[in-house]
Amino acid sequence: MSPMRVLARPAQYLALAAYLLFLGFPLLWLISASVKSSAELNSLNVSLLPQEWHWDNYAQALERQGLISSAWNSLTVALASTALVLLIALPAAYVLARMRGRLRAAGVGWILVSQVFPVVLVILPLFLVLRTIGLTDSLFGLTLVHTTYMLPFALWLLQGYVAAVPIDLEEAGAMDGGNRLVVLRRIVLPLLAPGVAATAMFSFVSSWNEFFFALVLLQSPENYTLPITLKMFVGGEGKVALGPLAAGAVLAAIPSIVFFTLMRRKLTSGLMAGAVKG
Amino acid sequence: MSAVRNLRAAVLVLAVLLLASCGATTGDDDGRVVLRFQSLSDQPAAIETSDRIVAEWNRTHPDVQVEVVQAGWDGVHDKLITQFNALAAPDVVHYEASGILPFAADGYLADLTPYLSEERRADIPAGVLDSVTVDGEVVAYPTAMQSYVVYANRTMLREAGVEIPTGPTTSWDELRAIAKATTGDDRYGLAWGLKDPTAAFMSLSPGFGGLFFGGPDPASPQITVGAAETALPELVADMTYQDGSILPVSLTQSGSKALAPFYEGQVAMTVQGSFQTANIAADAPEDLDWVVLPPLAGPAGAAQAANPQTLSIAKDSPHVAEAAEFLEFFTRTGNLAALNEADGLIPATVSARDELAGRLGSRDGWDVVLAGGRHLTAAPFLFADRYQQWKETVATPAYQRFLAGQTDADELARELELGWNDIAAY
Repeated sequence: MSPMRVLARPAQYLALAAYLLFLGFPLLWLISASVKSSAELNSLNVSLLPQEWHWDNYAQALERQGLISSAWNSLTVALASTALVLLIALPAAYVLARMRGRLRAAGVGWILVSQVFPVVLVILPLFLVLRTIGLTDSLFGLTLVHTTYMLPFALWLLQGYVAAVPIDLEEAGAMDGGNRLVVLRRIVLPLLAPGVAATAMFSFVSSWNEFFFALVLLQSPENYTLPITLKMFVGGEGKVALGPLAAGAVLAAIPSIVFFTLMRRKLTSGLMAGAVKG
Repeated sequence: MSAVRNLRAAVLVLAVLLLASCGATTGDDDGRVVLRFQSLSDQPAAIETSDRIVAEWNRTHPDVQVEVVQAGWDGVHDKLITQFNALAAPDVVHYEASGILPFAADGYLADLTPYLSEERRADIPAGVLDSVTVDGEVVAYPTAMQSYVVYANRTMLREAGVEIPTGPTTSWDELRAIAKATTGDDRYGLAWGLKDPTAAFMSLSPGFGGLFFGGPDPASPQITVGAAETALPELVADMTYQDGSILPVSLTQSGSKALAPFYEGQVAMTVQGSFQTANIAADAPEDLDWVVLPPLAGPAGAAQAANPQTLSIAKDSPHVAEAAEFLEFFTRTGNLAALNEADGLIPATVSARDELAGRLGSRDGWDVVLAGGRHLTAAPFLFADRYQQWKETVATPAYQRFLAGQTDADELARELELGWNDIAAY
């Protein structure tokens, strides 16, 4: 074995470790800030490990701003939006990927055009429409808005996955006597698992973190989602309760991490596994 | 079969989630008047005090109940734009003068002139009342203010042989001299968090006679950036590059970040918003002997632009009179004193300021901070309709380039004027 090859593997691990550190450092810093006192956060002596563990930030975050109810609101909206997005995007993406003709071109065009408009441009008409049907200051209304907002990208993402499934597999299934529904359920759907997982993760995280629609549409504190509540740690005149804000942000990240962990296996497994025997 | 089962389960879960998300409804007023008060109070003590005042009102006014809707400062402008345009604004709106006045100009705020009691009118300094008056109409009750003050490390000043100012004001020349005297050995005289320099320069420029905006037509103000308007940025640049007495990195930081070198003894003084008094009292090391210097004064005096926090009433509210009565109650002397103490701010009324001064005395420099409230007055920029746009897209980048040494005072003035003219043209 040449010396170059001997050194290659440790170098790869070193690069990977450096990359992971680069990616993870902001999170580590956030966790560190969440257990530091205000005085230490305002000190020039910067260290990752706190001089004194200050758990009070978590108590303040939980007690002060209704973090728990906001987290529940966010979870409800994010899960409902994700489910709705998948329910609509999955069949639509299949049609978009398999269909040919003008309707498909129009559909793809609509997806692209819908991504052009900035949020700030649509918020006022959207608010007026939702108010007319009584859906402002409502988590159900916000769920519909998040679903609509995420749908184009989800469609775009999923139709790529559908297009990657060879049509031969569906034809083979049909040859074996399976009707369209059976072919879709038994052959196509399992192969789309990574795409569904990716779309679910995208939808969940987008909805979980979404700020502007929630800020404008939700009026009652009992309906606030987590990003709105976290922003309330930033006060007027430049005042920021940094410790409680960091503690709240750490707590807010937990559901996303759990969701990612649950979906990770789906994302990486099953991609074309067993589809074609060589 | 498992796929079908999974699909059924997913649909069931979705239905439950959608039903759960439908649960939010608004309250019922039972025939009573219910006022929605969108409050931006952010400090726990201030929220508690505000809630206590509202509870007292609700107890004594069973027919007019106030419901507090807590909101945050961040993004509130966008929220208000939508609320006002969609005729969905709360009855009582908490904000600040520079933010709320454009809504008044667009006709979204009720004229409070007939409701403002003589007692309250006499209690609010004329300059502060001017800052919430548009076309002769009072559009908000001012509640709380801040001024820019200098916090100084008494030990470092004494070690440098500097006499700590004790007069009614501290001149900018004195500040520069003290900063120079305390600079040396990796120590700087001053830290000033000027990450967002426009607010500071606009607020302090009246002390140099700088007004920026004027002209015969208040509806379309014209900008003039002359020597008076560029005097303060030039002073900061001179202290940074000629004297070397300002910690350079602080010019790129927020005010809060600039406190760290002050706590560590790396700088002898720091210019901050007066609300930082409570934070410094809580976070400064025990052995730091600090003091608030008398209010800063330029050639034109110690005037600073007042940008008070405000309480307004939406013009479309069906209960303007009741809401105005609530504002009279909310801004009573004891209430304003308690709110401002909790927030670390300066009350907008003289009586509340006096009550607070009597209660707090000279503790943590409160006497100097409250005395500085006397110098707060209206400034033309508050009434320039597109000030916020100009501030964010023109002034702040222009000031940052100037402080970085990339442009000179003439170029700064040219950028500020051309930028405003471009914005005003549309």
